[in-house]
Amino acid sequence: MIEFRKEYFADERDDTLNEIGKPTQRQDMLGHVTGRSPFFDDHLFDGLLHLKCLRSPHHHARIRSVDTSEAERMPGVRRIIRARDVPHNLNTLLSLMGFGLDDEPMLADKKVAYVGEPVVAVVAESERQAYDAIAKIRVDYDVLPHVLDVEEALKPGAPSVNPTYPANTFTYHEKYDHQKLRFGDVEAALRQADHVVEGRYQMSPIEQAPTETCGAIAAPETNNRYVVYTSTQALFFSLGTAAKILKLSSNRMHFIGGTVGGGFGGKVDSIHEPMAILGCMLTGRPVKFIWNREEEMQVGAPRGAERWYITDGVMNDGRIVARKFTGYFDSGAYTRLSSYAIIKSVGHLPGPYTIPNVSADVYCVFTNRTPATAMRGFGITGVDFAIETHMDKVAHRVKMNPIELRLKNAYLDGDMKAHRRLAKNTALVECCQVVAEKAKWSIGPEYRAMSSLKGGGGERAAIPHTIIDNRGLARPASGLGSYQSPPAPGYTPAPAYTPPSYSPEPQPVRPYEPAQAAPPPAAASPTTTRPAGNRFSSISGLRRR
Amino acid sequence: MPVSVRTFQGAEEAERALAASRTARYFGGGTLVMRAVNAGDQAFDTIVRATDPRLRQIQMQGDSVVIGAGVTMAQIIASRDAVFLAPVAKVIGGPAIRTVATVGGNLFAASPYGDFAAALLALDAKVVPVGGTPVPIGDFLDARDREPRRIVLSVIVPRPRDSRAFRFVKVSRVKPKGVAVLSIAALLPTNGGRVSGARVAYGAMGGRPVRALAVEQALEGHTLDEQGIAPALSAATEGINPQTDALASEWYRRQVAPVHLKRLLLDQRR
Repeated sequence: MIEFRKEYFADERDDTLNEIGKPTQRQDMLGHVTGRSPFFDDHLFDGLLHLKCLRSPHHHARIRSVDTSEAERMPGVRRIIRARDVPHNLNTLLSLMGFGLDDEPMLADKKVAYVGEPVVAVVAESERQAYDAIAKIRVDYDVLPHVLDVEEALKPGAPSVNPTYPANTFTYHEKYDHQKLRFGDVEAALRQADHVVEGRYQMSPIEQAPTETCGAIAAPETNNRYVVYTSTQALFFSLGTAAKILKLSSNRMHFIGGTVGGGFGGKVDSIHEPMAILGCMLTGRPVKFIWNREEEMQVGAPRGAERWYITDGVMNDGRIVARKFTGYFDSGAYTRLSSYAIIKSVGHLPGPYTIPNVSADVYCVFTNRTPATAMRGFGITGVDFAIETHMDKVAHRVKMNPIELRLKNAYLDGDMKAHRRLAKNTALVECCQVVAEKAKWSIGPEYRAMSSLKGGGGERAAIPHTIIDNRGLARPASGLGSYQSPPAPGYTPAPAYTPPSYSPEPQPVRPYEPAQAAPPPAAASPTTTRPAGNRFSSISGLRRR
Repeated sequence: MPVSVRTFQGAEEAERALAASRTARYFGGGTLVMRAVNAGDQAFDTIVRATDPRLRQIQMQGDSVVIGAGVTMAQIIASRDAVFLAPVAKVIGGPAIRTVATVGGNLFAASPYGDFAAALLALDAKVVPVGGTPVPIGDFLDARDREPRRIVLSVIVPRPRDSRAFRFVKVSRVKPKGVAVLSIAALLPTNGGRVSGARVAYGAMGGRPVRALAVEQALEGHTLDEQGIAPALSAATEGINPQTDALASEWYRRQVAPVHLKRLLLDQRR
């Protein structure tokens, strides 16, 4: 039962909506309910071969030697693929957007850094023959100490997980070992607060668990091309990644996607297509690479675990005057999309509240766990759990109705957010009011009378005097680039992300001037010029300004 | 190595073939064996199966019902004689699994599977091996992983005199057909309103279905009300060693077991 509260924001809408509020049939529904939707695995090929991977049984180990001689003689085996067969065996997904360094091999070469990391691939006539051959491969591992906890991984002397980032932290803006947010003077505000409320919040990784496991079929096509049927949920991302890893011009690959048997973020990481295509290139036959359920659960990149520490400075009347975050994202052994999740996350802080002093240090940490990736609102959902649980804790401390506490601190249209964008279309106030009404949770008349359109802006639009620091300058990464090979011909990397430069001097308070058109106050300081390169948008990654 | 399938008409022949090879697996309904085949399990290369009609029979024998080991969950649900077991069979797997999953296979399923075996344990069933004498299910489960591999022909299940005396709950996080966080089966005969000779068994609270002996003792002579069951609830996990797995930690299982036991004993709808 949908209920529309059309009294809200009535003048912001012309109410000539054609879809919202009306039943609309999904375009793929008929195919799904009649069982006719074609998934990648429904495509049949004569002489199809099957690719399976030998995977690391260790959290962390050096590979001393690999002996595939017995496996090569097994019946049905058509090709054994090793790291040296991969044309460009080091990649990071976001390099397509010029963000981050290549850090992950498609097949492990010198060492493995998580349980399930692929070491050798076998292409055989049947799945069973591939598995049987894998059982005959001998890998001599030199087991290394491992680290599975984000804070343990940051301690001096912790095992170094990822050779590209030897200190176990992703490097932000080519400078810091964490992503920084500074808005106002948190330490001073905490000293003046009536209460200081602290909390620690831990989220586990979550597997997307699609019904259709990840996979792809690659087959030779005419004109020296390869046709690829894939379960990907990001077709051009997958195409770009395959082009880079295989050093193959993208116009030689014909990618066909479309029907995804459940994705939820877990089918963004493009590993299957380049592996299947490589098998096809090396055998000249169609090759299928599909994970079994155990692989999907063990090595399918989940939503990463997050740990958050929140410290709030709160006045007796419930006003939150300072909020300090320290966050640790468990990226697993490689970067994938965790580095970007943190950019999103920090842009979201301190949640939908107007707090005059906010700071955050958020670390993307490498551990010997399965690499983490995208999943529905990643970067936001975890910290929102922490923030909202913390709001209840604050309400309890100052003995306030928790909904009233949220309303008292709610952001309003025209307020300055900590990442220096003006809040608009906020509507948190209205949501809280309706929730209170539906839950029969009484709130005071002054809170019932609030509106997100009233009371915002003005003083609340100012960027406060901000204390900034250079804490966490990344240690020079000595091993940096040692894994890097020259870029593939035909592959043009995107221009590198140029970070805005921070001025070390404290900046004066600058009020928002609504009369001014065009450029919104975005930079950290008025003296900072905005770089011409790519910037992250909060929703879809990079956008060009 | 390719996997070969050997099919025998008599259960006795199948048992001989199984005993003769260390790399043979017996195929009940295939829900566990075929999963291993598909994943390339190298531990076995031969599947042994039997088409013996005795394996598929359900028949009355005095106050008990004799259920062939090859009887599927779907057959149990459709059977009039085994109607008291239908609520248990209905929560094993989804519809597709229930058409192949067998009573005998469930006896060998490692935690968190084996909920049907937990129900049989509470009902004091006996397990009949091929060519052997019936053994109490508790003894069978104790020896399951140690003794030479035998094929089970059938189970003999005493029918509860009062159908309301047998209760079963499977607790799962995914409804209606998730894997068990735990399951509880209880036979609660009463005499003048007081429990007499209770048998309570847990599934997924250890490596195999286990009796909750402390709970049984604490219920003896008590009424099934809040006050009467209080000692049983405080003994809910006494002598039990729940496992930690992907579904729940040992701690969590210990915390929720008394909650679900309480609802079961008070016959509260969940």
